[in-house]
Amino acid sequence: MKGRNRLPGRRRRPARATEPRGGRTRLALPAALLVAAGFAAWACAGWYASAHDEHVAYSRHRDAALDAAEQGVRNLNTLDHTELDHGLALWEESATGDLLGDLRRSRAQFSRQVRSARTTTSARVLSGALTELDDRAGRARAMVAVRVTVRTPDRKTAVKDSRMLAELTRTGGGWKLNALGQAPVGDTGTAGPDAAPDAE
Amino acid sequence: MPTARHLVNRRRRIDRLDGRPVSRSPDATAHRPSARAATPTRSRADRTAASPTAKSSGRGGWWAPGLTAVVVLLAGLGGYACLRTRALDDQPVRHNTALTDTAATSRVKGLVDTAVRDLFSYRYTDPDRTRAAARDRLTGAAVRQYAALMEQVHAQGPAQRLVLTTTVTDSGVEVLDGGRARLLVFADQVSTRTGKDGGDTVAAAMFAVDAVRQGSTWRIAGIDTFRRAQDTGPPQEQPQTPQSP
Repeated sequence: MKGRNRLPGRRRRPARATEPRGGRTRLALPAALLVAAGFAAWACAGWYASAHDEHVAYSRHRDAALDAAEQGVRNLNTLDHTELDHGLALWEESATGDLLGDLRRSRAQFSRQVRSARTTTSARVLSGALTELDDRAGRARAMVAVRVTVRTPDRKTAVKDSRMLAELTRTGGGWKLNALGQAPVGDTGTAGPDAAPDAE
Repeated sequence: MPTARHLVNRRRRIDRLDGRPVSRSPDATAHRPSARAATPTRSRADRTAASPTAKSSGRGGWWAPGLTAVVVLLAGLGGYACLRTRALDDQPVRHNTALTDTAATSRVKGLVDTAVRDLFSYRYTDPDRTRAAARDRLTGAAVRQYAALMEQVHAQGPAQRLVLTTTVTDSGVEVLDGGRARLLVFADQVSTRTGKDGGDTVAAAMFAVDAVRQGSTWRIAGIDTFRRAQDTGPPQEQPQTPQSP
């Protein structure tokens, strides 16, 4: 203590000035550390919650199922008589379960019909929505509004809007249609899961 | 005695002058000349003087920059996490809560189903009921779209003794984003005429509806009947063509 008193004045003054600053730093740094650690923990927790949000996973299944429903309806209402095999392969690619069985059973007969009628059918999805989604069971129901255009060899076109109801199953290759049919009209109307576009 | 006092005083004076000579003197002799010699060394001397003990001054050498680095790293991590969270939250998939928010989805679906039923049902004996539904359930562009759709019904309804009964057979929420929603609706409309061309007809309708939340309820703000560009005739809601199932 006394030794320090002997230091010349100009050396003592800066020494005193640093002393409280040093004390403040010793308090400020741990405080900053606490704040930074708290902020980082909070931000990381938010990040984790966002990345693992089950609503987002569910939303992704919803969007994937709806995409598959719309694409499936588009595929199953599109057929060019000149590219029959390619078109029918696309049909089978979009289907699974009962619908796939139906398509395979009727494939030969249907090919003959379309070849002789020489029609080209194309489809545009106007709108679509999922009505049910069970992401655990991998099942969904969708409704799709589709506009189907049928072109006959004499270049006549017939445009028809259809209200399609689809059932989907999640497979190893993504969501696929396992049932597809037109929404019944009135109480008496019924429509089987027959996806064949009108080849009349 | 005087000798002894003299010695004691001398020792005290030496003690006073040099503080604790045994512990301090090497330190002091090391610093004093260099402090006088140059400014940078002086500041080092000051720091040493400011530190209460040599031990704590040695620790301060790394913990201040070390802690500062940790603070900067943590702040950086936090900032990065915030950015990632924001990027995740901004994904379009998050904005659409159709089906994920089951309560809101079934609420807007229920309200739109009843709205469509009331709006497109008509009884020639009570046309004001349909008009009241239009006042309560519609807003924005839908007012004009609906008026165009129902113009003929209101014009010919009384003469044809027309009764329209609309049932929503299927409806699904495509998008639900806060106070906005878009739904796809499949509806059947049974029309009964008791005029000259009487009889029952069933028309199948499909259309998309934009709904907006206003206060505690939802109103229809847009009706998209997917009309074709070349279409000039009445849209599908008009029960013009009898359909056989």
